[in-house]
Amino acid sequence: MLLDYDRMGGLRVALLGFTALVAGFLLLPVVFIVLLSFGSSRWLAFPPPGWTLKWYQELFADPAWLNAALTSARIATMTALLAVAIGLLASFALVRGRFAGREILRGLLLTPMVLPVVVFAIAIYAFFLRLGLGGTTIGFVIAHTVLALPFAIIPIATALEGFDKSIEDAAIVCGASPLEARLRITLPSIRIGIFSAAIFSFLASWDEVVVAIFMASPSLQTLPVKIWGSLRSDLSPVIAAASSLLVGLTLALMVVTALLQRKFRT
Amino acid sequence: MDETVRAVSSCSRVAAMSVEIRRNFGTVRVPAGLNGLLPALILIVLFFVVPVLVLLLRSVTEPEPGLQNYAALLGDGTYARVFFNTFLVAALVTIVTVLVAFPVAWMLAIVPSGLASIVFGIIILSMWTNLLTRTYAWMVLLQRTGVINRTLMATGVIDQPLPLINNLTGVTIGMVYIMLPFMILPLVGTLRAIDPMTLRAASLCGASPFQAFRRILLPLSLPGVAAGGLMVFVMSLGYFVTPALLGGTSNMMLAEMIAQMVQSLLNWGLGSAAAFILLVVTMALYALQLRLAGARRMSGGI
Repeated sequence: MLLDYDRMGGLRVALLGFTALVAGFLLLPVVFIVLLSFGSSRWLAFPPPGWTLKWYQELFADPAWLNAALTSARIATMTALLAVAIGLLASFALVRGRFAGREILRGLLLTPMVLPVVVFAIAIYAFFLRLGLGGTTIGFVIAHTVLALPFAIIPIATALEGFDKSIEDAAIVCGASPLEARLRITLPSIRIGIFSAAIFSFLASWDEVVVAIFMASPSLQTLPVKIWGSLRSDLSPVIAAASSLLVGLTLALMVVTALLQRKFRT
Repeated sequence: MDETVRAVSSCSRVAAMSVEIRRNFGTVRVPAGLNGLLPALILIVLFFVVPVLVLLLRSVTEPEPGLQNYAALLGDGTYARVFFNTFLVAALVTIVTVLVAFPVAWMLAIVPSGLASIVFGIIILSMWTNLLTRTYAWMVLLQRTGVINRTLMATGVIDQPLPLINNLTGVTIGMVYIMLPFMILPLVGTLRAIDPMTLRAASLCGASPFQAFRRILLPLSLPGVAAGGLMVFVMSLGYFVTPALLGGTSNMMLAEMIAQMVQSLLNWGLGSAAAFILLVVTMALYALQLRLAGARRMSGGI
């Protein structure tokens, strides 16, 4: 009876109550930070003595924040494009290829997801110092693409595994070239996987802190590096304003994802 | 005569073999399958494998060839405390995460889908929100004059602010917050795959709810709990951001120590030796987790 929602009695109330508590715990920091960003207390008193938009004004008045956001957006977009392109090719090989060591190669490509980021961060930092790529956009994009690649491969490979290859073969039998069949039959069929891969690899770069802290130079800072620097100096409400905008972006991404998934399904 | 026959037959055998080889090559098409992997392999080998290997090499060559960095790390009490603290925090975070995640996953596995999707939405929102944003929120919430201390004092539960930040409590709260989605989401899958009939049967046969939980539900979900718990443990071992911001100087974790050795002390030899130790422990546990997940796939088809 423990897995029958309608026949659990008091246990159901207890489980529902506990789940509500945990949901509240998960929601607390997100809601709190948004409320705080409109509060007028510089010392982050809560509930705030009054409401204001001045932290947002301060945020937009400081070009360093805007620059950091633009740098992050640029690097994350390039990372997502590169990771999806490389991940797409790799997924086809991993799912359809029949060669020795396929599982080992798959494991190798997914390792950046498992290895503690700090190890990779200092490794690539030292490596790029020698190559002269430290603190450059290219360096950032390469390092982030390594980290994002597993997040691109997993959804694409999963979608491809669920796709019936005989449909592609049928297109070829009907006269399509193999490339044409892939572009016009297979890719549209696995678009949910490709789309998830794009979002995940974008977020993998956009939110990445550790590699960015090592790679950043005074002239090239991503948003997380800027937040990290501000956090270490003081807990200014301007960070709350920047954070709230990030929460807004997350919500927008979630809505877009939900809408697109609904559209793709029908 | 005899020799000609032998020659002809061996000749035909060679011909047959070569046809077979050609046919095999025709169907296997090794290069065609590998071509697509090339960009990914070049990227990973050149910018992941090589840099990590070069780093590990530095641990035995700097400042001079030898194992002195490892001897220093393993022989010194200060470093031993960092190792101990890293395992302590990771174990604590894992235990709390499992205990909190299990009831939630249980509820999500059986609740009507409308209610479930609200909770899933909240989980995704918290998971996708910027890591530093979440950590910043906890820094503000947990500080001496923060909301939590003020509320507790206003309601008379305590009369002195509790030290909630820059210590083990702060790291644990912040890390559990981050790890919960990684535990809840896979566990829902495990629990959904359990046939409710087995529990109905237990109840019909006279098992009390507690017995049914302990002897049916818990054992059946254990592979999922173990795999998820191990993943949380591995992730916690190497975590950098949250311990650095919510933890104190007295309970530093390994990742932060590595960063400090390299960034502030510029001691690359010692830093990369510590990184190698972290790498070996992580990879060994990851292999164990893969085995657990693999065993589950074979036995249960989940």
